[in-house]
Amino acid sequence: MTSGDLFLQQLINGLNLGAMYSLLALGFTLVYGIMELINFSHFNVFMVGAFIALGVLKLMGMDGQTVILSGLPLIGVILVTFVVTMFATGMIGVGIERVLLRPLRAVTGPAAMILTIGVSYILFNIILIGVGGDTRNFANPLPSITWAFGGANLRLRDVLIWFIAIVLMLGLTYFVQYTKLGKGMRATAQDPEAARMMGVEVDSVVGLSFFIGSALAGASGLIFGLYYNYAKVDMGFSAGLRAFTAAVLGGIGNVPGAMLGGVLIGLIESSSSQLIGQAWADVIIFSILVIVLVFRPAGLLGRQAPNKS
Amino acid sequence: MLSRRSAFKAAAGIAAAGTFAITEAAHAADKVVKVGMDLSLTGADAESAARVGNGAILAFEDANKYAEVPGIKFDLVKFDDGTATAGQYDPAQAATNARKMVSDKGFIAALGPQMSGAGKAMSPILSEGNLAIITPSSTNPDITDPKFAAQYRPKGKAVYFRTVTTDAYQGPNMANFLAKTVGIKSVYILDDSGAYGVGIADSFERRCKELGLNVMGRDRLDPKAADYSAVLTKIKSLNPDALYYGGVGQAGVKLAKQVYEILPKIIKAGGDGIYGVELLKGAGFPAADGWYASNASPHKDEGDKKIKEFSDRFNARFKGSPDDYTLTMYVAARAIIETVKVLQAAGKPVTRDTVRDGLQNVRMANSLIGPVEFDENGDLKNKVISVFQVKKDAAKPLDNMDDQFAYVGIAPMS
Repeated sequence: MTSGDLFLQQLINGLNLGAMYSLLALGFTLVYGIMELINFSHFNVFMVGAFIALGVLKLMGMDGQTVILSGLPLIGVILVTFVVTMFATGMIGVGIERVLLRPLRAVTGPAAMILTIGVSYILFNIILIGVGGDTRNFANPLPSITWAFGGANLRLRDVLIWFIAIVLMLGLTYFVQYTKLGKGMRATAQDPEAARMMGVEVDSVVGLSFFIGSALAGASGLIFGLYYNYAKVDMGFSAGLRAFTAAVLGGIGNVPGAMLGGVLIGLIESSSSQLIGQAWADVIIFSILVIVLVFRPAGLLGRQAPNKS
Repeated sequence: MLSRRSAFKAAAGIAAAGTFAITEAAHAADKVVKVGMDLSLTGADAESAARVGNGAILAFEDANKYAEVPGIKFDLVKFDDGTATAGQYDPAQAATNARKMVSDKGFIAALGPQMSGAGKAMSPILSEGNLAIITPSSTNPDITDPKFAAQYRPKGKAVYFRTVTTDAYQGPNMANFLAKTVGIKSVYILDDSGAYGVGIADSFERRCKELGLNVMGRDRLDPKAADYSAVLTKIKSLNPDALYYGGVGQAGVKLAKQVYEILPKIIKAGGDGIYGVELLKGAGFPAADGWYASNASPHKDEGDKKIKEFSDRFNARFKGSPDDYTLTMYVAARAIIETVKVLQAAGKPVTRDTVRDGLQNVRMANSLIGPVEFDENGDLKNKVISVFQVKKDAAKPLDNMDDQFAYVGIAPMS
């Protein structure tokens, strides 16, 4: 490999990681944008999503890595798995909001955030008891198509993950900016009281944002599985923490910011593994986060929002 | 007619009398001795922990059923050193468990832990209490190394016994195997940051340098990270003959998958941390194919009648096949039973002090893993490192270790 190839390959590696973190970061940022709540259960909704997708694929007869599909069956299987997984995790999100968080909405302080940490551990332990702690092999129906650029390889799944990340981000941006419900969400974000007076159904808007955020976590879980071919009960923590960092780095509450933060962290991770050592990746990521926050407390793309009160 | 209250009293009285009578009849003279078993029953290693623990359960169930030691009943008490927050074994929890065992005089010996990190936390506490433990799988050499006696056995006597060889032999012997048998010239080394992984990778690296191999680099993986493609891309650009991974399955299965994608042709090897069902189930084929793995115990020989008989018995009781570490656990439990048997036959008291001294001199010439004797540090005298290679056998179950890990042989000694 020439150093040019090496650079290109590490760039591809970094963008893959970035796309994954960005997708997860979107869910954090959406819920934070509406409720100013850091939803730590997101980590493990993502993990549960991967296991739901694993189950759905199993039901369709894909267990292990032996079945490779192409053409319409491939698209069909992937689409069905996406829809079922996103709906299921979306409903988990709605359930968490409706049953646990709504009674706490009037409570100020960190109670709601602590509660999401608790929910996160409950989800973790449900899967640990129900499925077990071993790494599960994730069925992969994607054909392994690779394009070579000199010594660097670009795989079909790399392209797929970028494509899905971009589509979901554009869809979310459109939804939040231009649809009536999206406008309701932004209104709720700015001032729930005034939004309610203007006829926005705040409860359903909050429920919806949890649905979308958790459905995105489910989608990331499925993509993670298709990409890395495994699902494991502890997968939520490190991916989730970096995604959360991506959201903060980009400016929490800001959708393009989450994408930018994710891609940056992915690139930092791959380049620090190349240049210094994998063990130092976290140190570098979090040092950069600290530096950015010192100089731009609202994150790279975040704006100092006018105070809600 | 009895009133409700008096009916209840009468029933309770009969029940109490009944229980009393049965206890008296069956266990009139039996003394119950407790054996603690510390395993990582929560978290990433839960399934292998259960398989290993079943080896001890089987040994004590049989000893009790056939009254092997007249007058003694064994009570195996399980302790879990895994926590949900750690997601795997937690040394702090292991230390707590050791304290619980030491503080109860009913415990005469202990089994476990699986992981060296837990062993390092437990050993000093057990030494203070003079409670002997036998580990079926923790292979970090420091714990029994006399150099570190002040740290791990402050009371001086060996309390940490093993039915496995240590990494002091596992890493170097694998280096010998790769250099002499496979014929590699250069290698890149990875570890998973754990006590076990770093230790085995260090000893491997030292031996590689002695053998004159070109060690092209060494990196440390974060076991919780999902993506190792960046470091593997770096290795690809260096183009070494082989990749050695010191660590357990948590990072290992993810590494195996990504190595297959990025470095499909490289020779890859690891320690007993990847010798397990997890590699087959988690990484799957074709990613698992071709990995060499060492194990710090003699291999259970399929042709051996004793082992066949054990596997059948195990399968009938637990519905699954035993690992090699199930065997070492079974043998560890047997060592305790044998020791107690000898003490009882000699009319000596069965306490933790006598059991510790007894273990030091226990001799099992014909156990499932061959001759078992412990040296003055607690290490197994018989030091054998077995080498295996994953070779896909499509006709057999793809997640069965015995079918998919082909036994290559015993690694050359240094």
